[in-house]
Amino acid sequence: MKYLPYLLKHLRRNWIRTTSTVLAMAICIFLFCTVQSVLAAVATMLEASSAKRLVTRHSVSLVFDLPLAYAARIQSVPGVKRVAINSWFGGTLPAKKEGKAEAGSDATTDWSNFFNNMAVEAEPFLAMYPEFRIPPDQLQAFMQDQRGALIGRKLADKFGWKPGESFHLESFISEYRKSDGPFEFVVRGVFDIDPAYPATDTNVLYFHYKYLYEGLGRRVQAGTFWVETFDPAQAGTVSKAIDALFENSDAQTRTETEKAFAAGFISMAGNLALLLNGIGLAVTFTILIVTANTMSMAVRERRTEIAVLKTLGFSSRQVMGLVVAEAMLLGVLGGALGVGGSRAIMWVLSNSPGLKDILAGIGFSGLTVPPLVAALGFGVALLLGFMAGFVPALGAYRARITDMLRTV
Amino acid sequence: MAMVDVRNVTKVYRKDAEELVVLNGLSLQVEEGDYAALMGPSGSGKSTLLNLIAGIDKPTSGDVMVAGTNVAALGETELASFRSHNVGFIFQFYNLIPVLNATENVELPLLLTHLSKAQRRERALTALKVVGLADRATHYPRQLSGGQEQRVAIARAIVTDPKVLVADEPTGDLDARSATEILELMETLNRDFQKTIVMVTHDPRAAHKARTQYHLDKGVLTS
Repeated sequence: MKYLPYLLKHLRRNWIRTTSTVLAMAICIFLFCTVQSVLAAVATMLEASSAKRLVTRHSVSLVFDLPLAYAARIQSVPGVKRVAINSWFGGTLPAKKEGKAEAGSDATTDWSNFFNNMAVEAEPFLAMYPEFRIPPDQLQAFMQDQRGALIGRKLADKFGWKPGESFHLESFISEYRKSDGPFEFVVRGVFDIDPAYPATDTNVLYFHYKYLYEGLGRRVQAGTFWVETFDPAQAGTVSKAIDALFENSDAQTRTETEKAFAAGFISMAGNLALLLNGIGLAVTFTILIVTANTMSMAVRERRTEIAVLKTLGFSSRQVMGLVVAEAMLLGVLGGALGVGGSRAIMWVLSNSPGLKDILAGIGFSGLTVPPLVAALGFGVALLLGFMAGFVPALGAYRARITDMLRTV
Repeated sequence: MAMVDVRNVTKVYRKDAEELVVLNGLSLQVEEGDYAALMGPSGSGKSTLLNLIAGIDKPTSGDVMVAGTNVAALGETELASFRSHNVGFIFQFYNLIPVLNATENVELPLLLTHLSKAQRRERALTALKVVGLADRATHYPRQLSGGQEQRVAIARAIVTDPKVLVADEPTGDLDARSATEILELMETLNRDFQKTIVMVTHDPRAAHKARTQYHLDKGVLTS
């Protein structure tokens, strides 16, 4: 620690160079932490998927619906335990409900409070979810009320909704809009998550598919079918069997595990992670070269001072240590700034009105830099500093006093 | 016992196949408390001899005994430790660290000791007082004149209370007045603080201040 003021003074010697190096390293660590945090959030989301649950959707795109009659045919496939319709409603709160519409304004939709809401066949769907903990009386009330909504704890806390309260939702999907105004819902149940499944999101609302179907004049089909298998090991066979059923139909299907579906849905297939990690690696390598160059220049400029230090009695190892420590100090500063910046951007994303709801709507509620990612980011910064400082430090270690003094 | 005892030292520099003999079987003794000046033309080997005495270079053959230790036989780390305890080096161009102020420059060798921060600061200020620069303690090298810089460098050399001071043309970069001040200071260190001083110089006036003068030419002592 007694060398710290000495090192800090050296870093201040050429503050423009030091600042630019620290900033470069901070950007590198910022990118690393942010990308890794997003990937961690994705992984957490995917963890919530059950290996027993499959999702059958239109083979072309999620945008296209599937005929309702498919449910019975899927149910007949060997290995299928139960099937439930699950249609993404895309509903938003009308602004008038939130008191945000100005007088005379045509705006009726409150986009700032977007959240996930799904029309499901409640009985089979809830039976597939051992993750949910619903008080029996509330479950009964929900099942008995066609307008009933079952909401997750986070959503209930966010809006302060309690059983018995009503609200309106209007879908931004034109096929799901009624001519006589938004759908009205009544909160009938608030569900929590079994502690055994901590990754499951509760920022979500489920309502009866029948309500949607009848409200729209029985003209809508099914967005997806969720399928529970008897045995997770048979997921591949069952998926193939389901898709084979509809191979020659107009609406061909694509069946995959819930995990694969979630990964595909948020466009976070393995390739994207690979791409992001590749970019991160390239940036890290670039910063390593930049920092190594900075340290080499610093050592070259200070040949006389290194000779003086050695003359005064500093051993080659101590001088080498000072050079490495200086480079690692750059790493500490860059790492702290980078991790701090990443935490700041995550906080902004998770707390900005509008942004946070859009993210929560696609399953990214409460984005944060996990401690492990922060520690890793800081570790990478230190490692970068060490690697950047090592070669110049080795030069300082090997340099002979008389040679360095002679070249001044 | 001699503070510095150079015995039959040879120093040869090799460049490719060529060999350059800088010191050729040289022997020299400097008694404890002596103030010796090494003189000679450029390339005579006086700075090389000084570097050997200071322990920053090693002879090709022969022994260099300083304060009873054969520095020629020490390893790199032992040599560094030896320098920090026994030798104070004064450079021609002062070689202060520009980002450190006078006190911090003087304090630098004390970082190798187990002294506390307050003790280091106290010793550095004492050394600055000895060289008459207590009022410039917080000044940076760029804020000091050449003579003042050299005095700070001398304070740095004496702060660990070494047995031997070696000076490589300490007045070589100074005007006449500053040079006189530095020479007077070195005389004081020798006379009042009993420091053994070995000084390389081209300046006959500086050499005249020393008690003993040695002349080198082509790697051997001529007088």
